[in-house]
Order: sequence, then structure tokens, then C-alpha cells
Amino acid sequence: MRGLVAWVALLLGGAVGARPAVAQGASGTFAQGIRAYQNLEFGRAAATLRRDLARLSAAGAPAADRVQGLVYLGAADLFRGRRDSAVAVFKRLVQLDPRFLPDRLVFPPEVTTVFDSVRALTKTVAIVVSPDTQVAPGADNFGAWVVASSFQTVEVTLRYEDGAPFRSLYAGPIGDSLRVQWDGLDAAGQLPPVGRVLLRVASRAPTGEISTILQLPLDLRIVRPDTLDWPAPPPQSAFLPERAGGRSAVRALLGSVLVSGAVLAIPSVVGGSGGPSGSRVAVAGTVGIAGMVGYLLHRPGRPLQANIRANQVLRGAWQQRVANATAENARRRGDVRLAVHAGPATVIQARAP
Amino acid sequence: MRRALLLAGLSLLARALVAQTLEPAGIVSVVSTRVRSQDPRGFGRLQLAVSYVEGKVDSAGVGGPGHDLVEGSVLLGAQALPWLTLAVGPHARSYTLTSGTQRWVFWELRARAAGAFIGSAARGYVELWRALSADVNVPESFDHAQGGEAGMIIRFARAPLQARVAYRMDHTVLRGALGGTRLETVDGLVVGFGLDWH
Repeated sequence: MRGLVAWVALLLGGAVGARPAVAQGASGTFAQGIRAYQNLEFGRAAATLRRDLARLSAAGAPAADRVQGLVYLGAADLFRGRRDSAVAVFKRLVQLDPRFLPDRLVFPPEVTTVFDSVRALTKTVAIVVSPDTQVAPGADNFGAWVVASSFQTVEVTLRYEDGAPFRSLYAGPIGDSLRVQWDGLDAAGQLPPVGRVLLRVASRAPTGEISTILQLPLDLRIVRPDTLDWPAPPPQSAFLPERAGGRSAVRALLGSVLVSGAVLAIPSVVGGSGGPSGSRVAVAGTVGIAGMVGYLLHRPGRPLQANIRANQVLRGAWQQRVANATAENARRRGDVRLAVHAGPATVIQARAP
Repeated sequence: MRRALLLAGLSLLARALVAQTLEPAGIVSVVSTRVRSQDPRGFGRLQLAVSYVEGKVDSAGVGGPGHDLVEGSVLLGAQALPWLTLAVGPHARSYTLTSGTQRWVFWELRARAAGAFIGSAARGYVELWRALSADVNVPESFDHAQGGEAGMIIRFARAPLQARVAYRMDHTVLRGALGGTRLETVDGLVVGFGLDWH
């Protein structure tokens, strides 16, 4: 009777299984075993699939590459009458991928029923997280999806590498999936003092015992932006003298003396009479007075307001640049990011059914 | 290029200080309003200066109306050094005395040294000239003539204006047919205001 059911199931699957063959059909790795399964050579199929799975496991292949072989192996064991072996294979499959469901157009209800019952009894989860994330501690949240194989109670915690608790993220029931978040700080609200923590999800059986523990290493790195260098002060050569030197004053006096002397000496130079001339004396006197006024206006030590203002503008511009750099550095010091790199998940405890 | 236009009232007091053949020396002064136009145009290191003076002269100690005075020059100059300019050109002067109208035409060579001595507000200058040749309608023959001018130019910081005050003197030597010499010296006070923009 069981053989007849298997034949009918395989015929039905073969009649409508063209499309599922793409999803869960024969692939390159498991093609030989799947072909043997489709030819109802379940013993040969099981042996071939176990060999291929062992080779993949030894090579460290990801779970997604092994689930197809496992589901065919479970089905082959089931049709070989080895239900316990099939249950063990299906449980292993659920632990690898809690979200996996066998294609019901490929596998008969006898197989899917057994698989569903195993999935309901197997309390395990998968953690879905981005490999690399950057968050602003306290402002952003690092998020991870916990996907459950079936309804269960889980405890999601962050722990130090030695297993000591770091932060508790969630404790309670989970049906299908759950998103947990971490603000990037420790329990005291400070940046993590360590470079690695473990994201641990403990699944509890209905009896309350921990059935499976899945943990994921999170490498933490605090990213602090570089601060700006302080602007260099203007070189001394850029400043103008703020006090008048004596050169301009002396030049005013000497220049007026020279011009006045030239005025008075013109008659003797050109050969004319050097007799008294009021106009000549007036011009020489005017130039002399102008020279004295120029000396007073350019007297040594006189504050040069234009230069003082220009220097103030120069100093003000530099001080403004310093203030801008200070504000920018303060902003950058506050802009601390936490880089989180997620490693591969490992099952550290799995209890046999 | 700096363009300057000096267009202002000008006071020129002139007198013949010594005239050995024309005794005594007559003191003349220009007292009426005169207009002098000066338009130096710089062409790189070349400069063209045009001046014109028109007015009246009064002989000292002689009453009555003044006599016309017209004077002008066109000088083409070159800036040999930043503070030294050399110029050459004709300088004509005509004025009427009791003895008649004298017309002078000199071809002059001028050297002018200038420099700022009170910041950039005041520039002093000294200018000397000598006649290369002359044409004068007096009985005596022309021997030589030379002159000079010294003073300062003040520029106003907040307006394109400038003021000038200077003293000038021209000295001419004429030689008579009998061997005598007549010296004619004209000096004056130059006061001018003008526009100056760069």
C-alpha cells in the first residue's frame, strides 16, 4: 500500500512538476540523487544524496546549497520506511533554514505532512542581518530579523565573548519573525567598551527548556571623524604697521626744505637778480609751513587708523576661521558612528529530538 | 595714463628787476583775471603740455590802464626717470609796454624734477629751462635766456582737485649794437587750482 501511494504521488508530481523542477528540481550537485529519487530508487537516491551532502558540508557550503539535497533525502528515507531518519533529516533542514517549505507540487502530502510536523516541533530560529552597518549610537538602531521555524519563546541578548550579558534586547514569544533593535550603547548608556559582542537567540521548547541557541558575532568599531586643523594665524608680514615711523615725517621736513631752498635759489641759478621778492619769500614760506604740517601729520608714533582697521579685519577673519573650525570639530566629535560587522551564525547548542 | 587739466585763475606778479640799458627797471603786475589752460597728456613715457596765459600787466609806478599780456607754450616731454621729465617746445610771450609791444618766441629745453614729500598729498617740483633759440622784436640782438620755477602741488584726497603754488623767474640777456647789454628779468607768483583725475 505504501508503495502504491508513492507511485501515485510520484506520477502526480511528475505530471505537474515541470515548474517546481526549477525551484526544487534536480540541480547540478544533487542531480544524480534526485534522478534516482524520481526513478523510485530510494535507496540509491539516499546514498547518493548523503554522499553529496557530506561533501558539501565538508566544503563548508552555505545552508542554501544543502536544503535541496536534504529535502530529497528526507523524502527518500521516508519512502524507504525509515521515518526516524527522515525526521532527523527534516529537523536538520529546519535548523538550517527555518523558513524552508517543501514544494507541495513536487512532494506528496505524505512528505509535507511529516515535514510540517517536524517543523512545528523544532524550535529554532534564523538571524537575518546586514553584513555591515553603521549607526549613530543613541540615535540610530542596529536592526536584525529573527525568523522562527514555529511559534516559540525566545530570548534575544547581546553578550560579551565570555558569555556574560551585555544587553537584553527581547524576551518573549515569536510567531513568524521579529525585528530586534539595538541602539549601539551598553546597559549604562555608554559606547561599547569591547570590540566584539555576540547576538544570541535562545529558543525555548514548550517545556521551558532551551532547545537551540543561535549566536552571531558582531564586530564593533567606533568611527570618529577626523577633526580639522586649526587655521594658521596670518604671518606677521601680512600685518601693516599700526604706528607711523619717522621716515614720512623726516621726508616732509626735508622735502619742504629742499623745495623752499630751490625757490629761494632760483634767482641765483637762472642768473637773475637776487633782490628781495615778496612772492618768492611767500612761496618758500608756504612750502615750509606745508612741510611742518606734513611733519605733524606724519609724526613718529602716530596711530595709523587705516592700517589698524585693516589689521583688525585680518585678525577678525582669522578668528572667524578658528571659530568655524572649533564649531566643526565639536560637531565632528559628537558625530561618533558605530560600525557593526556581522559574522557567520553558529548553533552552539542543539538538542536532539 | 594720467590726465590732468589745469583750468583756473592764475595770479602772476611780474617785474623787470634789472635792465641795464633800460633804466630804471619797470615793475609790472598782472592784476586782472587771467585764464591759463594747461593740458598735459601722457602718452606712455611721453607728455604733451599746453599752457596759455592771458591778462594785463601794469608798470610799477605808472598809472593808467594795464597792458595786454599773452603767453603760451607747447612742450613735448619724455619721462627720463620716475622723478625727472625732459621737455622741448616753443614758448611765446607778448606784452605791451609804453615803448611798444614785445613779442618773444623761445625754443626751450626744460628739465623738471618732482617728487612727493608729504605722503601722496603734496608734490614738490623744480623746473629749469634754457632757450635753444629765440626770436624777439626788439632792437637788441638776443644773447641767451633761461629760467626756472619751483613750488608744490597739493592734491585733495576726497576730490579730483589740485592746488599749486610756485615761484617762477625768467631771465633774458639782450645785446645792443653798441656792445651794451640789457637784462630783462620777469618773476612771478603762480597760484592755480585745477581738476586732476587719473
